[in-house]
Amino acid sequence: MAALFDYEENREAASAAKVRALEALLIKKGVLGSDSVDAVLRHFETVAGPFNGARIVARAWVDPAYKGRLLDDTPKAIAELQFPGMTGAEGEHMKAVANSESVHNLIICTLCSCYPWPVLGLPPYWYKDPVFRSRGVREPRAVLREFGVPIPAEKEVKIWDSSAQIRWFVIPERPANSEHLNEAQLAALVTPEAMMGVALVPVPSTT
Amino acid sequence: MFTRFEEYAATQMLGQPDSPPRSEGKLFFSEEWQRTVFGMALALSKQGHFEWEDFRQHLIHSIAAWEHEACDGETRWNYYEQYTMALVAILEQCGILKPGELEQQITSQEANK
Repeated sequence: MAALFDYEENREAASAAKVRALEALLIKKGVLGSDSVDAVLRHFETVAGPFNGARIVARAWVDPAYKGRLLDDTPKAIAELQFPGMTGAEGEHMKAVANSESVHNLIICTLCSCYPWPVLGLPPYWYKDPVFRSRGVREPRAVLREFGVPIPAEKEVKIWDSSAQIRWFVIPERPANSEHLNEAQLAALVTPEAMMGVALVPVPSTT
Repeated sequence: MFTRFEEYAATQMLGQPDSPPRSEGKLFFSEEWQRTVFGMALALSKQGHFEWEDFRQHLIHSIAAWEHEACDGETRWNYYEQYTMALVAILEQCGILKPGELEQQITSQEANK
C-alpha cells in the first residue's frame, strides 16, 4: 500500500511541476501575463456563481416588497442589487418562482444548456442527464423523494422547463427559526440545489 | 449570445465528455496546479492563441485515450492531467511550444530547487 501512496504523491507532484514549468515558460515567452490566470478565474470565483443567487434569495426573505418585485420582474429586481456579472444575456431572461406552504417548484431543462449559471453557478452533473430530465417531468414527486425532499400529497408540485427564452430559478422557503440571522448569514444557507428545487434550505442551528 | 468569453467557454463544456469537476455550483480544484492549468487554457484562448473548440477537441481526445488505456484500472482518473496534456498538445500544434521545450524547462526547474 505504501508504494501505491508514493506513486499517487509522485504523480501529483509531477503534474504540479509540469504546470509550474509550463506557466513559467509561457510567461517568459510573453504569451501569458503574470496575472492572466487570476484574472480569468476571478470571473468564476467572484462575478458569476451561486453566491449571486444566494444573495437574491436572502434579500427576498428579509424584504417582502423586494420579493414581490423579484417575482414580478426578475431581471429588473436583480439589477437593483448591481451585481457586476449580471449584465450578460443569460441574466436577462431569468424568472424567479417562489416556494410556499402550498407550492413546491422544480426546475428542469429538457432541451439543452439553458441554465442561469451567473446566479446558480455551474450545473451539477445529473442536471443534464436525460433520465433526470424525463423523470423530472413524468414523476417529479418520486425524483424529489430520491433527493431527500418528500413533498406532502396536499402540496402542489410545479415543474418549470428552462429554455433559451426563460431560465427559471426557485426562491426556497425561508427556514424556520432563522429570525436571528442577518441577510449575509441567511445567504450562506442557500445552496444551488435549493434554488433548483431539489433541496430545502436547512434549519439553522441555534447555537 | 454570450457577452463573456468565460461563460461561453464553460457552457460549451457542460454536459459534454470534457465537463470540468465542480461542487456546489463552483469549479472544483483539489490542488492549486489544477486551478492554474484551467485558467491558463482559458486565458490563452481568450487572448486568441487558439480556438476554444480546438482545445476542447484535444481534451476530448485525451480523455478518450485515457479511457481506452485504463481498462486495467491502474491509473486513477484525473481530469486535470488530461487537461494539461491537451493544453501542451494544442500549444505545440500552434507553435507556441517547441517539442521538448517543456521537458527542458521542467529539468532545469527541478535542478534549481
